Amino acid sequence: MEKRSILHMFDPMPHNSPFDINMAMDAGFDVLMPYSNVKLDSVYGLTQDAIFSRSPAGVKRTGIFIGGRDLGLAVDMLDACKRAMVPPFEVSVFADPSGAFTTAAALVACVDKELAIHHGKALQDCTALVFGGTGPVGIATGIIASIAGANTILVDHLSLETAEDVAKAYNRRFGSTLKGGCARTDAEKSQLIENFDIIFSAAKAGIQVLSASVLKSAKALKVAGDVNAVPPLGIEGIKRNDRGVALLTAENAQGAVGVGSLAVGNVKYQLQNEMLNMMLTTDTPLYLDFRDAFKKAREIV
Amino acid sequence: MEKPFILHMLTTAKNLSPFDVNMAMDAGWLSALPYTNVEPSEVQGLVQDAIFSRSTKNLKRTGIFIGGRDTKQAMDMLKTAKHSMVPPFEVSVFADPSGAFTTAAGMVAAVERELMTKFNTTLEGKVILALGGTGPVGQAAAVIAAQAGAHVRIIGRQLEKAQIVADLCSNEFGDGKIIVTAGADADKAEYIKTADVVFATGAAGIELLSAELIASAPVLKVAADVNAVPPAGIAGVDAFHNGVLIEGSKSGAVGIGALAIGNVKYQAQNSLLKKMLNTDKPVYLHFEHAFEVARDYLKANAG
Repeated sequence: MEKRSILHMFDPMPHNSPFDINMAMDAGFDVLMPYSNVKLDSVYGLTQDAIFSRSPAGVKRTGIFIGGRDLGLAVDMLDACKRAMVPPFEVSVFADPSGAFTTAAALVACVDKELAIHHGKALQDCTALVFGGTGPVGIATGIIASIAGANTILVDHLSLETAEDVAKAYNRRFGSTLKGGCARTDAEKSQLIENFDIIFSAAKAGIQVLSASVLKSAKALKVAGDVNAVPPLGIEGIKRNDRGVALLTAENAQGAVGVGSLAVGNVKYQLQNEMLNMMLTTDTPLYLDFRDAFKKAREIV
Repeated sequence: MEKPFILHMLTTAKNLSPFDVNMAMDAGWLSALPYTNVEPSEVQGLVQDAIFSRSTKNLKRTGIFIGGRDTKQAMDMLKTAKHSMVPPFEVSVFADPSGAFTTAAGMVAAVERELMTKFNTTLEGKVILALGGTGPVGQAAAVIAAQAGAHVRIIGRQLEKAQIVADLCSNEFGDGKIIVTAGADADKAEYIKTADVVFATGAAGIELLSAELIASAPVLKVAADVNAVPPAGIAGVDAFHNGVLIEGSKSGAVGIGALAIGNVKYQAQNSLLKKMLNTDKPVYLHFEHAFEVARDYLKANAG
């Protein structure tokens, strides 16, 4: 009989994410095992524990998922898993902390597509702002956009220093060219967005980042994308299901369009589902992070 | 293809109750995932994480269970969970801290049945003493019985604590629509003279009502005990009793023991866990719903 598929879900946080659990179950894993409060130095041992209890054939029915809220840590944990493998005892590993890699990949891929359709441009021709830029989704969005060639700024709502530190730290790690920015008030936001081509809104759920009165000052805006599905939404004028719909609140930016959270969510959902599925169907072990997620997201859109 | 049933089980305690996990699996949930040491402030985040990863159709196959040990905290978490939903993205939630809601519901429903079958009366207007009643089961039982029209007095060793709990029951759980009173354990000889019903919901292995006090209760009709560990919480009521005359009672009172209550509790918890699986609209379940299904179960199995 074929062994049941097992996904070991390592999470450095006190709780695994219910989102990821639903996704893993729906992608077809038979059994999910949550491991919370996992420290980086436990990952090596946990991984070897997981690979040696099944024959190499059974190993294909076993996977590791890495969650959490910290991108750097998740990538470190992914590397630690990879180092712990002893071929042919090897399993696939997928890192998607807070779903941030797949959400960010979907967001950037959706925006990239609308950019091509409505403005005939690519990411490398554009400048981009990431609001909520120091949270997990914001950082991943920034890194992906930056690596794809957009001149990107991570915007924090409290501190320029925090944003610059985050940008520097991730640039060192992933070869991106992020810069830090800060906008505390509507006046500062209005000033900041004036000449940018792309706006990503990746702030907390239920917080309006850009109101219509702020958006008026955008003059170069081409595409804006929002991931917040809990009202009030992140960008006034973008509805949750919008996918390249004219953004009328940005009245001074000609042809600006918006992408809403559920449109991004649909791509993210499909993306995470396909990546989890790849772990179940692959013949050789896979190690998946945001780079793979973006590649796949572009195929999906 | 239909998606698998997933129950996200939240507890503020260090561990889930294995009782609840078994119950969830047996009710038909395919997968039950534990979240332990949950802070009430984390509920909104966890709920919103859970609701956005499935289509509204498949959210019907997703649920949240709230355990823990504290009644007020569990009710607050249930309220937070409900307010965290973003319709149409919402799922059913069931709070049953320490199994107290379903245990209390099972006890009160069993008492009501004995009142009806043996004394041809109801809970309406009855004087009830909840001995050792400051804990989770005592609190929920007091509220359920008071909502059915009984005059409930929570008896504790410290009057002050009993008073705080009684106020919590009246104002918080009863929404200010019921009045639960308090009394000191030292005065129970006086209170027992007018008591129609006694709930014993103290810690296991402590006798809360002696044979002497039972003999001195002129209008006592039903005495129920949730303690399954000897000595019994009520002298003369053993765990298997289910409407058996209590020896030495001059008023002809009958006793209900822990295992008889446990059976109704089991049925109530099973039924609510199933209700979450089968409902078309999300439901938010607590002690009131537990009492409804416990009553229904006893009615359906009468005679």
